[in-house]
Amino acid sequence: MNCEETTKLMDGYLDGELDPITSQAIEQHLRECHNCDQAYKTQRSLIRAIGNATPYYKAPSELRERIQSSLRKEMAERPTRSVARDVQPLFSRRQPQPRTIGWETSWNWLALAAAVIFAAIIAWNLGPRLQRPGANQFLATQLIASHVRSLMANHLTDVGSSDQHTVKPWLDAKLDFAPAVVDLSNEGFPLIGGRLDYLDNRAVAALIYQRRKHFINLFVWPAAPDETRTPKTITRQGYQLLHWVESDLNYWAVSDINEKELQEFKQLFEEQSVPH
Amino acid sequence: MALLLNAEHAFGLEDFESTTKIVKFAIVPKKHEEPDQSPKEELMSFEAAMLPHLDAAHNLARWLLRNEQDAQDVVQEAYLRAFKSFGGFHGSNGRAWLLTIVRNTSYTLLKKNHAVDLTTTFDEEIHGSGHESVSPATILEHAEDAELVKEAMDELPAEFREILALRHQEGLSYKEIADIAQIPLGTVMSRLARARDKLKECLAARIGKEK
Repeated sequence: MNCEETTKLMDGYLDGELDPITSQAIEQHLRECHNCDQAYKTQRSLIRAIGNATPYYKAPSELRERIQSSLRKEMAERPTRSVARDVQPLFSRRQPQPRTIGWETSWNWLALAAAVIFAAIIAWNLGPRLQRPGANQFLATQLIASHVRSLMANHLTDVGSSDQHTVKPWLDAKLDFAPAVVDLSNEGFPLIGGRLDYLDNRAVAALIYQRRKHFINLFVWPAAPDETRTPKTITRQGYQLLHWVESDLNYWAVSDINEKELQEFKQLFEEQSVPH
Repeated sequence: MALLLNAEHAFGLEDFESTTKIVKFAIVPKKHEEPDQSPKEELMSFEAAMLPHLDAAHNLARWLLRNEQDAQDVVQEAYLRAFKSFGGFHGSNGRAWLLTIVRNTSYTLLKKNHAVDLTTTFDEEIHGSGHESVSPATILEHAEDAELVKEAMDELPAEFREILALRHQEGLSYKEIADIAQIPLGTVMSRLARARDKLKECLAARIGKEK
């Protein structure tokens, strides 16, 4: 955060409208920059003084009375509006209502019907794509969420190292299985580090690889005996998910790189992680 | 009023004869979840929800129009409009909703009177010079002078008067201000900053003159 940015965001900071991270950056800058700190203090006092000094125009009591009587007049006129005969104002008040409600009913039913059809279409389209729609879909959502969270919350790695001999022992110590860890720097997928994550109701290993500016989260955990062995790919929300099973371990690679590159990554990983 | 209510009850009995209508009334949940309110009840719930914001409404209109009579007329008109569309209001922020209507009604009048100074370019002859010598400390000394601040505020364009009143006086959040002034959220901060700068300039110009 420099002086120019701080000046630009000063009002938002004073009004407490900035996100915590930006606020902290500004506070940091104010501690370091005397000029900005002075400007901040002056502006703060000024805003406070002006706020206090600005006259507040309370509504006079006769305005309240005026409004209340005009509302009553409006209310009294409302039912008789569009009435031809004065003799039966009561009928005219009620009669239009059933019709309105009738309309609303049919719209409600239409909306319900539309929702049912819409749900059917979605189910129809998504169903075949996933072999076990319920479970897999849920897992895919979890995987993407984990991937996104790892990039968002500045918590990409628990152990940040490109050295597989650092990452592997760290993970082995924390888990009840020993995932293979390989560095693919030479192949253009450098290892960034490892992380513990929680997926599918268990602790899992997450290996983080980089491809140019993109990250790949490779989640690993023991496969269930009945796990389908055939590799599969899923594309969701712009993310690629690639699943395979090797040596009784489940692998899920999640990234925003394209499918071809992710396949290439999988192949390289498999080649290099052949049990020694 | 009593007559009206009695008559309504009488009508209810009469209506019993047509069963189909009764069924409809019974099973259909109304779209807006408003119970079958009598006009009287609706008025009462409207007043309970909106009258507490009368001061805020009046204050905003007063700053926008800079005239007590216009402000009162606009607020009254705004309450009527709000009452008419109250059935369509389902939000939780009654104050912001009402202030939006007050604001729009105020601008309608401003436009009608050709008094819209939305983005008035500042008169540089008046405001452009004379205040450079006035230090922030001096402005601060005078900033608690209510009369001076009022005069300086009244010189600002409407969009600045409005945003300053909403923020400094009502303490509204940027999001609420964005909704009321119908501007993008991202514009609120920059407009507020410009409004404060202009207000400081106006104050400085006045202090400079007094000297």
